[in-house]
Amino acid sequence: MVGLAFMAWLTVVICYGGNWVLGQCMIERPIVVGLVAGILMGDVRTGVIIGASLEAIFMGAVNIGGAISAEPVTATALAVAFCVGAGIDQSAAITLAVPVGVVTAFLSIALNNVVLAFFAKPFQDMAAAGNEKGLAVQHWLLWFFKYAAFALIAFFGVFFGAEPVAAIVNQIPANVMAGLNAVGALLPAVGMALLLQMLWSKELAVYFFLGFTIYEYLGLPMIAIAVFGVVIAAVVALRDKEIFDLTHKAAATAAQIPAATGSDESVDADEEAFFA
Amino acid sequence: MAKITDNISAEDRKMLNSIFLRSFTVFASCAGGSITAGADGWLYSEMPAINRYYGDDPEARADAMKRHTTWYNITQNVGTFAMGLVASMERENSTHPDFDTESIDAIKVSLMGPMSGIGDAIFWGVLRVIAAGVGINIAMTGSALGAIVFLLIYNIPSILCRYYMTYLGFNLGTNFITQLYDGGLMKLITKATSTVGLIMVGAMTAANVRFATPLAIPVQDSDPVLVQTYLDAIFKGLVPLAVTLVCLRLLKKNVNVNLVLLGLMVVAFVLGLVGVM
Repeated sequence: MVGLAFMAWLTVVICYGGNWVLGQCMIERPIVVGLVAGILMGDVRTGVIIGASLEAIFMGAVNIGGAISAEPVTATALAVAFCVGAGIDQSAAITLAVPVGVVTAFLSIALNNVVLAFFAKPFQDMAAAGNEKGLAVQHWLLWFFKYAAFALIAFFGVFFGAEPVAAIVNQIPANVMAGLNAVGALLPAVGMALLLQMLWSKELAVYFFLGFTIYEYLGLPMIAIAVFGVVIAAVVALRDKEIFDLTHKAAATAAQIPAATGSDESVDADEEAFFA
Repeated sequence: MAKITDNISAEDRKMLNSIFLRSFTVFASCAGGSITAGADGWLYSEMPAINRYYGDDPEARADAMKRHTTWYNITQNVGTFAMGLVASMERENSTHPDFDTESIDAIKVSLMGPMSGIGDAIFWGVLRVIAAGVGINIAMTGSALGAIVFLLIYNIPSILCRYYMTYLGFNLGTNFITQLYDGGLMKLITKATSTVGLIMVGAMTAANVRFATPLAIPVQDSDPVLVQTYLDAIFKGLVPLAVTLVCLRLLKKNVNVNLVLLGLMVVAFVLGLVGVM
C-alpha cells in the first residue's frame, strides 16, 4: 500500500506542481492526471477512462483568479488508486472522487490564503533590498514544498483509506450501485452549467442548442463540431466587422476626424492570432 | 504576426525571450497568498528588464523591484502583454528622470480586469472546452492519445499567444488595449469566441450528461411500453438538456456551486436507487 500511496503522491506533485511551473499547461486536468496516474500505477487503460469521466464532471472547475470550486488533481489520483490498487469498482471510484475534490479544494484555499500569507513579508523585504537571488530561491523552494506538502493528502488518503473504502464499496448492494452509476451519468451537468454561466448571453444561447442537437442527432465527432463552430463564428464576425467599420467610419466622418487605419490593422492581426 | 517580432534589437529580443520563459512560472509559488497573489512570480519574470535598465544603479534597481511587489493576477497566457508593456515603461523610466513611476502601477492594475476577462473566456471558456471535448471522446475508448491530443490543442495556441503577447506589449503599449475596448472591437472578439464555446458546450452536454431509464409500462398481451422510447421521440437527450439548464438557472441565481453539485448527487442517487435510471 505504501507503494501505491507514493504513486498517488507523485501523481499530484507531477500534475499539480508541474501545471503551475509550466505555465498552467493543463496537466492538472483529470484527463491528463488519469493518464499519469494510470502509467505510474500500472493500468493505463483504467486511468485514462476514469480521467475522461472525471474531466466531464470537473469541466467547469478551473482556478479562475484563485477561486476554485473543486480541486480535481487529488480527486483523480485517489480515484485511479482506489480502482487500480484496491480493486474498487470504476463508477464507485468516480463518484467517490467528487466529494474528495470539493474537500481538497477547501484545503487548497486554506493553504494558499493562510500559510502562503506568511511569505508576503519576506518577499516584500527582499524586493526592497534588491535581493534578486533570495527572491528566486524563495520562488522555487516555495513552489516545490507547497506541492510536495499538498500531495501528502493523496498519500495518506490512499495509505489509510484504500482498504476500508474497498471493504465498504465491495459490499454495496446492486441498487446502491445503480444509484452511484446514476450520479456519474448526471453529474457532468454541473460542469457544463458552470461553463455555460461564463459564456451564456440571450442573443447567443441558440448556439448551445445547435451544438447539442448536432451531437445528439448527427453524432458528429467533436473535432468536426469544433470546426463548424469556428466557421460559423468567423462568418458572423466578418459580417459584424463590416458593420463595425461602416458605423465607425460614419462616426469618424461626422466628427471630422480621419480614421486611424494603422491601428485597425494591428487589431486585425491580433484577432487572427486569437483564432489561430 | 511576423511584423511584431521584427525590428527588435538582439538585446531586446534576448530580454523578451527571457521574460517569456520566466512567465511560465508566474503563479508557481504565489508567496504572500491572497495578499500579493502572483506578485513574486511577476517580479521574477520582470527581472531581466529590471536588471538591464537599472543594472548600474543599485538604488534605482531596488526601487523598481519594490514597485513590483503589489498584488498581481492576469490569466497567464495573455499576462505577458502586461510584462512586455511594463518592460518598455521601465526602459522609459530609466532614461527619463521625470517619468512618473506611478503610471507603471496604474497600467498594471488597469490591465488586470480586462485582460483576465479576455484570457479566461478564450483560454478556459473556449479553447480548453474544445480540447477537452475532442480529448474526452478519444480517452473514453481507453486510449492515451486522448490526453495528448487535449494537451496539444490547448497548448500550441496558448504558448504562441504567450510569446507574441510579450512582444506585442513591448511594442504597442497601452493604446492597443484601450482602442480595442473603446472602439467596441473587443465585443466582436468576445462574441465570436463565445459562439464557438457555446456550440462546443452544447455538444459536450449531449456527449457527457447521460440519462437512460429502464422504466417500462406493462401492457396486456403485448410488449411493455418503454418510457425511454417515448422520451426519445419527443427530443433525444431531453432529460440531460433539462438537468443542465436547471443547474445553469440555479447558478445564475447565485446558488453555491457545491450545493448544486451535492444536490444533483442526491437526486441522481435516489433516481438510481429506486430504479428510475
